[in-house]
Amino acid sequence: MSAEPLWSENLRKTYATKGVPPVEALAGVSMNVHPGERVALLGRNGAGKTTFLRIASTLLRPTSGSIRVFGHDVSEHPERARPYIAVVPQEGKPFFHLPPREMIYTYLRARGLSRETSQSRTEEAIERMGLTDFADRLCITLSGGQRQRTMVATVIATQAPLLFLDEPTIGMDPFARREVWASLRDLTAKGSTILLTTHYLDEAEALSHRLYIVERGKVIVSGTSDDLKRSVGGTLKVSLPEGAAHRESFRSFGETVADGASLTIIVHPERLGELMALAIQRQLTATVGPVTLEEAFLRVVGRKIDED
Amino acid sequence: MRTDPPADNIRPTRPFGGTLAFLWTEMLVQAHESLAMATSMVTQTVLILFVYILNPGLIGVALIGAVLFSAFTLGQRVLNEAAYIRIDHKANDLYLAGPMSPEGYFLGMAAGILVVYVAPIALLGGLAVVVGHLSLSTSLELLGLSGLVWLFAASIGYIFSTFFRDNRAIWAYASLFFNVFGVLPPVFYPLGFFPEPLRPVALLMPPSAAAALLQSRIGEATLSMGQTELALFGLITETALVFLLAIFWARRTVRGP
Ligand SMILES: Nc1ncnc2c1ncn2[C@@H]1O[C@H](COP(=O)(O)OP(=O)(O)OP(=O)(O)O)[C@@H](O)[C@H]1O
Ligand SMILES: [Mg+2]
Repeated sequence: MSAEPLWSENLRKTYATKGVPPVEALAGVSMNVHPGERVALLGRNGAGKTTFLRIASTLLRPTSGSIRVFGHDVSEHPERARPYIAVVPQEGKPFFHLPPREMIYTYLRARGLSRETSQSRTEEAIERMGLTDFADRLCITLSGGQRQRTMVATVIATQAPLLFLDEPTIGMDPFARREVWASLRDLTAKGSTILLTTHYLDEAEALSHRLYIVERGKVIVSGTSDDLKRSVGGTLKVSLPEGAAHRESFRSFGETVADGASLTIIVHPERLGELMALAIQRQLTATVGPVTLEEAFLRVVGRKIDED
Repeated sequence: MRTDPPADNIRPTRPFGGTLAFLWTEMLVQAHESLAMATSMVTQTVLILFVYILNPGLIGVALIGAVLFSAFTLGQRVLNEAAYIRIDHKANDLYLAGPMSPEGYFLGMAAGILVVYVAPIALLGGLAVVVGHLSLSTSLELLGLSGLVWLFAASIGYIFSTFFRDNRAIWAYASLFFNVFGVLPPVFYPLGFFPEPLRPVALLMPPSAAAALLQSRIGEATLSMGQTELALFGLITETALVFLLAIFWARRTVRGP
């Protein structure tokens, strides 16, 4: 099959609740996810990420537009899309009265995997996601992050062709998050495709091949994290602790932000030498670092909010 | 990057696929509530005691009624469980956005709950057989009718569960429905005690229909030809319809509006 794992065009969703004005959660979202890709869906709270994921994973009816999973029309034939997918729901929890080992195993069996496959995948997931020490304790006795790890391990163990992960690493420590990243990389290496949401932008950067930023139900940016950084005027950030007074002289290099006495300039690498020469000439100390995805995100989304 | 999804991971959804696995899951989950197993019998025991104090001769009727009532109130547990795991655990999203069949999810859940709670019901059934001197055929009839009542209640319970958005409201409605229809009509007492004009209604409600059929078997109620048919075919038809509706509804409600 050569169809894209996920393809949507002009997808719209308006929530109509009696007694309150309708909410337009998606205002025409077009996107595609290629085979083997890990794509991150970013955006502020309420931007429409979960809504998109729920529609794509056959759990919510779109108001209009098209969406396909491996070529199957999700609106018309959700049951044809379901065999391909697995979902970590936002705020989903494992069953409290099962230990992680039983949770994962019974879930795989419910999805129709054989005993042997379920058993070996369960052990693999336990090992991989660092659940070994508490794999046989009831989930009710686990910490929040341990429960979330169990949830993610359960879904990752399916090795489904297309995985939807809604804030999968919420509440996880930095080690656990990295274990999730490694597992997701493994999965895509084996041929799965992943669409995830996250509010950790370092995670989006470390993990995703491409990202989409949604704001008020619309895609406002798509591309790689480098594309996004370039769109804010550079991939490097120069901080001048005493530079605020010299702001005018540095304006030509790129976006400048003054904060008290200090000045931050976003700059393209090719103009860095010139900028540093000017700083030295003015006897200003300077530190250079990369622009983080979070900074680029704040600027791009902030700009969009200002426009609206 | 490869273009084909890994084929060995694609399981087409089969009708009732996943029923046994989810039955097992639900059993493991429910088995941890050992206190609930004991408290599930409180209402029945109290009512049996009442009937015995008022008229010891009706103890057989009361025990049969208790078995049917127990089967009926399992529907309330299905309702609670289905709503709880959907709302609090997002289990619908986890299980149903995948190859598992929605009807397998519903039936597995209902059957898992049944398996865990069946022991005390069987005990009541045993008592009914011994104390009420039930013949083999009447005992088998009790078994079959209890099964129908259970299937009816579990199906209704699952359908109802889909209408709740939060767990707080459920308790009141669920116990209202299952207690009213399980206790008010002649389930624990003979049909003859029920107001004559309302008897057809009782014969059309699954728990009291089953009770009436069994009461006539042990000579505690007299059913005319038409009434026996009404009770039996009513019960079978209603159960079949509600079960089919639950399957349809389970499939339909995987996806929200
Ligand atoms: N069931 C619902 N009924 C009405 N409005 C809803 C419903 N679910 C979501 N919304 C609204 O739709 C918009 C998008 O919500 P959505 O859950 O998709 O956001 P999100 O991007 O996932 O946010 P977060 O980062 O907080 O999870 C929000 O304005 C939200 O209030
Ligand atoms: Mg969300």
